[in-house]
Amino acid sequence: MDVPPKSSFILFLLFWFPIISSLIAVRSDFGEEEFSEDLLLKPLPDRKVLAHFHFQSRAPLSDSFGRHHHLFPKAISQLVQKFNVKAMELSFTQGRWNYERWGGFDPISSSNAKPPGVELWAVFNVPPSQVDTYWKNLTHSLSGLFCASINFLESSTFYSAPEIAFPPASGNLRYGTLPREAVCTENLTPWLKLLPCRDKAGLSSLMNRPSIYRSFYHSQRLRLTLSNSAADELNSGIVLEQTLTVLLQPQIVGAGMNYGSEKKLQPSWSLSSIFGRKVNGRCVLATSSSVFLQIDGDLFTQLENLQKNTAIYAADDIGAEELTSNHGFELSIKPDRVHKEVEKGSSILYEYEIKEYTDTEQFDLSLTWKHPVVWSSPLPPLHASRFLMGSGNERGAMAISLKQTEPTGGFVCANCVEERCELQVNVLQIVPWYIKVYYHTLQLFVNEQRQAVTDFVEKMRVSPSEDKVSPGLMELVLKFPCDLKSAVLSVEFDKGFLHIDEYPPDANQGFDIPSAIISFPNFHAGLQFPDNSSLSKSPMFSKLQEKSHVLSYTEVLLVPLTTPDFSMPYNVITITCTVFALYFGSLLNVLRRRVEEEKKRLIDEANKKGLLRRVLTKLTAKFRRRSSEDPQPPSASSSSIMSPRLILKVLIVAGIAVVWQYYSR
Amino acid sequence: MAEISESPSKPEEHNPETSLKEEETDSGFDPKTMRKTKPGVKRLILAVSVVFSFILAFPLLWKSIEIYRAPLPFARINSFSAQVESDPLTFPCHFQAIFVGFDSRTSKSFSPNELESSIVKKMTQLSPKASQCGTCSNNHSVSVVVDSGSDCVQTKDYKPGCSWQCGAVDTVNFGAKLKGGDEDADELLWSLLGGCSESGFGGKVYSVLVVNGEGEVRTVVGKYRHAWILGSVSAAEAVSRIAEIFVKVFVNGGKDEGSIHGEFMPVGADGRIVLSFSLLNADPRDRIYDWDFDIIDKTFLQPMIEALQPVADIAVESQVLYHTPKSSFSFWDDKHGSHIFSTKDLPFFVNSNEWHLDTSIAAGGRSKILQFVVYIPSSKECPLQLELPNGEISKTNGFISPMWGGAVVWNPQNCPNDSESLHPVRQMISPQDLQKVTEVLMGQLRQIFGLKSDNLYVGLSGSSTLLGSERGFTEWELDVLFRQHTCFNLGSCATTLGSLSRLVQSLPRMIIMDEIGKQVKFSLEAAKLAQSNASVGVYDTSALSSKQSRSLAEDAFFHPSIMSISYYSFEHCFAVYSPFFLPVSMHVLMGALVEWKRYKKENRKYLAWKNKIKIS
Repeated sequence: MDVPPKSSFILFLLFWFPIISSLIAVRSDFGEEEFSEDLLLKPLPDRKVLAHFHFQSRAPLSDSFGRHHHLFPKAISQLVQKFNVKAMELSFTQGRWNYERWGGFDPISSSNAKPPGVELWAVFNVPPSQVDTYWKNLTHSLSGLFCASINFLESSTFYSAPEIAFPPASGNLRYGTLPREAVCTENLTPWLKLLPCRDKAGLSSLMNRPSIYRSFYHSQRLRLTLSNSAADELNSGIVLEQTLTVLLQPQIVGAGMNYGSEKKLQPSWSLSSIFGRKVNGRCVLATSSSVFLQIDGDLFTQLENLQKNTAIYAADDIGAEELTSNHGFELSIKPDRVHKEVEKGSSILYEYEIKEYTDTEQFDLSLTWKHPVVWSSPLPPLHASRFLMGSGNERGAMAISLKQTEPTGGFVCANCVEERCELQVNVLQIVPWYIKVYYHTLQLFVNEQRQAVTDFVEKMRVSPSEDKVSPGLMELVLKFPCDLKSAVLSVEFDKGFLHIDEYPPDANQGFDIPSAIISFPNFHAGLQFPDNSSLSKSPMFSKLQEKSHVLSYTEVLLVPLTTPDFSMPYNVITITCTVFALYFGSLLNVLRRRVEEEKKRLIDEANKKGLLRRVLTKLTAKFRRRSSEDPQPPSASSSSIMSPRLILKVLIVAGIAVVWQYYSR
Repeated sequence: MAEISESPSKPEEHNPETSLKEEETDSGFDPKTMRKTKPGVKRLILAVSVVFSFILAFPLLWKSIEIYRAPLPFARINSFSAQVESDPLTFPCHFQAIFVGFDSRTSKSFSPNELESSIVKKMTQLSPKASQCGTCSNNHSVSVVVDSGSDCVQTKDYKPGCSWQCGAVDTVNFGAKLKGGDEDADELLWSLLGGCSESGFGGKVYSVLVVNGEGEVRTVVGKYRHAWILGSVSAAEAVSRIAEIFVKVFVNGGKDEGSIHGEFMPVGADGRIVLSFSLLNADPRDRIYDWDFDIIDKTFLQPMIEALQPVADIAVESQVLYHTPKSSFSFWDDKHGSHIFSTKDLPFFVNSNEWHLDTSIAAGGRSKILQFVVYIPSSKECPLQLELPNGEISKTNGFISPMWGGAVVWNPQNCPNDSESLHPVRQMISPQDLQKVTEVLMGQLRQIFGLKSDNLYVGLSGSSTLLGSERGFTEWELDVLFRQHTCFNLGSCATTLGSLSRLVQSLPRMIIMDEIGKQVKFSLEAAKLAQSNASVGVYDTSALSSKQSRSLAEDAFFHPSIMSISYYSFEHCFAVYSPFFLPVSMHVLMGALVEWKRYKKENRKYLAWKNKIKIS
């Protein structure tokens, strides 16, 4: 501070000018549209590796929005503009997230684990009366854009408007799922087309289709958020997040290991071994491009214990540098930054910034385990599952069970209100109309004791299904005491009949009930890093720190309904018509009948028949020949006459057979 | 019931049969061939009435299973398409030739009536024999003014309201003024002749000004509706030049072929075009270029969009794409010092796998999307030039594909070296370069619309300079476009409506919604309006309403209800009703037939007995 103020100002200018000018240049050049790419890798307890790609594009809401773009995908901006979308999320998922093994209390699982099939929700910036129209048009546009049958969500029987139990709930929200949608490359390619580098460069070049679609779970997601604050001009803009979450099983390449330890040792992996590709360099258009490696808190504690036990490293302070060549595993590349969480499990993030690599030098992060470790993922507060009860094609019941995950019982008191510790659970259950739920049969069992529902329900919103118009929707806000062991919600239903046109192809497979959403609004999944480590400007890093509700999806249920014989309408028509025709014809015949004449004819016929019968008895007698009581001369004569005829007939038949054989050959 | 009613007749019928043995002998009665009573007609009436009631009820049934079909004006459609086919649409055009600095009294060849007749004669020679659709009708109205400064002579039928103000200009210095500069001269003439545009004839009068002067003869066509000829010109030469400008330039737009071919129509069926501009960075690893498209949009495209409004509604959008290599290779040429891409490889320039130009969501349904692509080659083939078939380098470095759009290769000023710059610089294309590129793109758009992109017209009697407009299209070019598009739209509307009526008539069991009927009606009305406007000579409004008629006709033809599979076929109808009607009709017909036969037989028996009685 000895320097006079003027010179300090000049110094200030000298120091800052290049930076300011470069900042200005960047601003004007980029048109303020930004793009960034990130990848998070995480070893999981069950020998799998989680890879989570995160791409984020931003665009300001200027006049030319929706018409002229530099980095932001034009298709999406036109979609936003045309349908007045305020927020939207679309996910394509294959496989089911295993909350017990892969974690249920971290940012990845609570915001990226999605129900199988397609899930779409959108918030519109239009008057409530027009929301449905906009939703229908949006579904059609999206199905064209992503080559998927999202347009089925157009029908009002497939979507609903949750208000209290769905996290981004607000007035103009519509939510719909298609559990049976198959997801494949044709959905990934249009998704990649929205990225400026597509899969030509940068982290997305890792997306080797065979390895992605061989994975145990993959979910591609697209989320749009429009921050339109009139006061803050700079921050008003649109953010497009595209994420791809893949669970991969690394190949076990334990060459030098002895057989016994190989079983326990986690499989070592590298980017090239799990994806079959390496990173060639960053996408040049991305403002930031980084790869993170996350070590779960529990794993870290296990490793620490291991270190203490082996006591090879006597270091009692665990600095960031030591962590890289940790005791239990080894990383091939030294990370650029290490972030350690301040509290709560204290997981560790290793950050690698991707720079330009050449063909000879490529980024191929590998992790080699040195000692067998066993750990567990952070579990959700309650484990949720859903199942069907009852049998037959007529009625059944559906139950959602919530179970305490911590074996000790009792939560870390998240929000203790005075003495009473409460656990809030929001349940959103959407049921198609052909499952006719009787909401009055809602029963609640807490700790295996039947309890009155009203004792635990804080808020409830039910909109019963309307046949062929809307699905049934049940939203519950439940408050349980913290020492809850288990809770079961059950509700009974009748299975409805569908019109013949409403059956999907392969109706015998059964009908899906979409996943219920269980959220825990008092629990926030989000990593907490000290402020000084926020040097990382990667959007994923801030996304991981974001406090989001812990959320889990239940299973999709398969309900068999009575399936008709699909040719039934024609059969019914034919049978009815035949009956009518019979009735009509016989009526007409009765009207025309002459009883006396018929009687006479009957008598005549009876006379004729008597003669015939006589002949017949003669003939049978002749065939019986010797066995007959009185062989009569006429019969003997007839037999002598018959024999050449018989021979002739046999000959003719034989001739026909020969000709047939000849021609048919 | 039947049996009860039968009972009284039984004894009558059977008595003769029971007592047949005794009667046989006395009167020669044969029960096999004769009967004594009249045969009953009750059953016959019953059976026949059932048949008749079926026949009578059949129309009712037919009516009840009838499907709804909105009545379409088939007769009007047919007459409209017949009219469009047989009688090509032509517009009335008015021409005016003004001779400044010539004296009609000194030389007889400069008398207005003489000049008029010779111009008309020449024009008839030049214009094609059969009147083409979208051109001016053959009865040209040509008026001639000869202004010598002191004296001013006009043809007799000179229309008032759009008169050349005689003596308004100084005939001696006028030529010098016009020589100053083409743009200024154009504006000067616009101020003198501009009044014509506001007056009658739909405001369209094409004028050619012949100014007597020295030096070589020079012809300039302005950006409004006038041209001028300057220099020492004889009457005959002036007449042939005037006629050529009228027929070839003002009427035909300076091109050889007259009307638009259907497959080269750049406007979508709903009258919309989306111009999608894309900047393609073939390999962004070396250098990234960006553009400020807002400037292009505001300064270049908006005026053009306004000008073309009667022909098409145009929307503009742009994007920048990266990692978009072309799909064929170029080769290095030392002579030109650049990479050469030859014309024969042009079909493989556009790489539809990697260029995600995308269909726009803004373009709904049947809009036409024209893609305009600015391609920046990668550093490996940086100066990339397109080679013409004759071995020369293309000046515009671009090409068009008629229904797809256009592409321009833009080479950065200093190509980045092959030295791998690890941190690519993001650069804006400079406004000057951007303007050049945009001009090429505008020329391509003009070509797609069927106009010439160069500014010289070479005719039989000398060449003339064509002035360009800052709107991209000059007034007279727009007139040509309006006329041709009106013609094309009406033709297309007629064919679409014709096929719709044929389709509807060929499928008698197809549901036709009321909306289709309405669309057809409105389409016909719009077409009629276009025709009447055309006959008056209001080009832009007729183009506008013809556009409407075409899009309405297309809407009717491609109405989703026509496309739907739920149309109720005759086979279906047959399958539903035949299980009832087939067996029942058999019963009914057989019953009636049997009863009729029996009645005839019995009646014959009765008659035979009658005869027998008579004889005996």
